[in-house]
Amino acid sequence: MSRPAGLIAGLVAGAGLLAGSTLPAAAQTEIVLTIENNRFHPEEITVKAAAPFMLVISNRDKAPEEFEIQDLRIEKVIPAGKTVRVRVPALKPGTYRFVGEYHERTAKGSILAE
Amino acid sequence: MGATFVITLREAFEAALILGIVYTYLERIGARDGYRYVTLGGALGLLVSVGMGVGVGFLSGPLLDWGPDVVGVTVIFVAVVLVTWHAWWMRQHARAIRGQVQQRVDAARAARRLWVVGLIAFTGVFREGAETVLFLWGLTTQATSTSGWMNVLGGVAGVAAAAVLGWAIFHGGKQLSLSRFFSATTVFLMLLAAGLFSTGVGRFQGLGLLPMGAPLWDTSFLLSDQSVVGSFLTGLVGYRARPSAWEVAAYAGYLLLAVRLFWGPATGGRPQRSAVSAG
Repeated sequence: MSRPAGLIAGLVAGAGLLAGSTLPAAAQTEIVLTIENNRFHPEEITVKAAAPFMLVISNRDKAPEEFEIQDLRIEKVIPAGKTVRVRVPALKPGTYRFVGEYHERTAKGSILAE
Repeated sequence: MGATFVITLREAFEAALILGIVYTYLERIGARDGYRYVTLGGALGLLVSVGMGVGVGFLSGPLLDWGPDVVGVTVIFVAVVLVTWHAWWMRQHARAIRGQVQQRVDAARAARRLWVVGLIAFTGVFREGAETVLFLWGLTTQATSTSGWMNVLGGVAGVAAAAVLGWAIFHGGKQLSLSRFFSATTVFLMLLAAGLFSTGVGRFQGLGLLPMGAPLWDTSFLLSDQSVVGSFLTGLVGYRARPSAWEVAAYAGYLLLAVRLFWGPATGGRPQRSAVSAG
């Protein structure tokens, strides 16, 4: 067990370095998104186009959720009671829908880049 | 209930297909003793999926932000390599069988790489396994009413239905002529791997490691990848209604290489020798 665990830890560390190198240390806009009762709050987010930002998503439910922005190929699992930071690249003006894949009927919203 | 059924059926279908194909493959080459490698690989895949589904809840900070992605992307690319390798082998078998009366390929030679078949079973199950475990687990924790439990039931039934489909493929695959089975599965595995490869490249874009441009085209009016059929095709052959340039290039590039590798003239002269040296 220790070898695969070590391997995974190594990979994660490697990705961390990789992420660190691609993420500019400069302050990034943070947008807080909360999941409660299988819904996102807020359900509509407005951001500036052409500027990357950070989504800080907190899951207050007892069930895990998978956050997905299909058009941006972003998908992140957010375990129950946890917070996950998702970096969103600079967007062209437009609307980008997001869903909670595990509760698609209720957990949905959109990002408006303008 | 119907919605959760479709979700788990979709997640488990790919795994069931892969298991069905590799079991049939072993049956057809007369290496039934290799079943246990597949069973072991699949069972380990399930175990690790559960472990990851539970384990991810203990992570936090950057480890939670990045860890699951790194594991997910790694599994995708490992699966591409394994499936390609397996499809290539199938292709060699198909060539060897053609024009020969013998119905069985040398099992002893195949036995040497049975662990690869086991690994394919492992990655096939693990790839969507952790997600399915988390989904089902979430359903259970939220099942406080009858309809909640119906959702859980639907989810479990989806996995069961996928298993039945895998079993059907195993039985159907036994009916096909050997060379047709090998040819059909080679083509299918090639498309599966092309889809996986382009999915992996798409994930790189999602992680910000590759730039995300505008979609190259939009066929969502014909078939949305959010629809039931569309999402199944996404899992099986990598269908995207709004693919990025990187994804299209990855898909086409993989197909080009695979067609050369499987059908190209380069390996045509000596399939047996190259097959042995690769094993």
